[in-house]
Amino acid sequence: MQVIERIPSSKTPPPGGEPVSLRIHKLCVFRGTTLVLNRLCHQQGAGELCCVVGANGAGKSTLLRTLAGRLHPAEGTITCLPPKLYVGHADGLSPTLTGRENLKFWGQVFGLASNTHLLDTALSHFDAAGFADMPVRLLSRGQRRRLALSRLLLGPAKALWLLDEPNAGLDQASRDQLDSAVISHIATGGMVLAATHLPLAATALQSRLMLGGGQM
Amino acid sequence: MLVFFMVIIALFPLAIGPSQAVLAPLGVPIIWISALLSILAGFDRLFSQDVRDGWLDQIALSPLGLGWYALAKAVSHWLTAGLPLLIMAPLMAAMLNVPTAQYPALITALFLGSMALTLLGIIGAALAEGARRSGTLLALLVLPLAVPVLIFGALASGANDRIVTPHLMLLGAVFTVLLALAPLVAASALEIGETETGL
Repeated sequence: MQVIERIPSSKTPPPGGEPVSLRIHKLCVFRGTTLVLNRLCHQQGAGELCCVVGANGAGKSTLLRTLAGRLHPAEGTITCLPPKLYVGHADGLSPTLTGRENLKFWGQVFGLASNTHLLDTALSHFDAAGFADMPVRLLSRGQRRRLALSRLLLGPAKALWLLDEPNAGLDQASRDQLDSAVISHIATGGMVLAATHLPLAATALQSRLMLGGGQM
Repeated sequence: MLVFFMVIIALFPLAIGPSQAVLAPLGVPIIWISALLSILAGFDRLFSQDVRDGWLDQIALSPLGLGWYALAKAVSHWLTAGLPLLIMAPLMAAMLNVPTAQYPALITALFLGSMALTLLGIIGAALAEGARRSGTLLALLVLPLAVPVLIFGALASGANDRIVTPHLMLLGAVFTVLLALAPLVAASALEIGETETGL
């Protein structure tokens, strides 16, 4: 059911050289009474980008939520060394606070660097500084998405980014900004595992995890 | 929910009739029932907006955890529902001709009781989160547990010129146990809700 397809790239790591930072071994996850992930195995090292693809209902969100820690596997093990940052289907923003206040709050709660200068840098990467001081409930879908993605830039450099359809609803400029954020994150040793229907950072893509047999 | 409280209290004399002999002993129980119903009325879908926004996910993944989050929700709900009720209670008691000697006991008991009911409410709201008939489910879950609070509270409020009675101490004990356990139970319930249905 699950196939991992490695895309040959110019920076193929030397065999046996790269330490594995994320290892998933025979993961089985139920959603209600349906077995959505069936003995899934995957591994990923620092500086790697992996896109999870599959039909709707194949289990992409389930996989990301299980890795993030919101769902518990019925069987199998997950070993993850670096800290995780999860941006799910929902944005994780409070509609009554402004974008900047949301980011500041999450920065403090997660113990991330969140002084004003870093917040401004993160917001300006996605051109979100213009609407960061409006209550989130007044913003459009794409604007909220950009605020949610800005949170990633506050995190530590070697974190694992778990992204669930990060570029859905974004215009082309914002998708390019996301691509460049992903590329610079993996260049500094971070990892990205993203479920996406649209292409994400295609030039830096190293592996694709295909989930099949969706029956939800 | 303050309006709800006042409306229920106003309805009782209308239904029972103006006879003081019938109404006088019912003053304290009427206040307690109205307090219970108006506090619990605000708990339906307490967590729903946060679940939908993905806010709950991030709190659950953060070092903060769902326990402190549930406690914060309880505190904010009490400040908006319980505290105004406590402030209006003397006025309502006057309206129902409750003897003024009972006011100190009534307010103290309502203070502890409203906090206890709020804590019960977050347990119910967490358990009923995501269910289809969440309002009904919430009432079914919480009302049986609220009965001891109601009984001890009503008995504790009837003390003339005294505040501390054995009934008040039992009410305080119920509140203390809930204060320790309710956030943890609510956090567990929210976790289980995620793993069973999920988004």
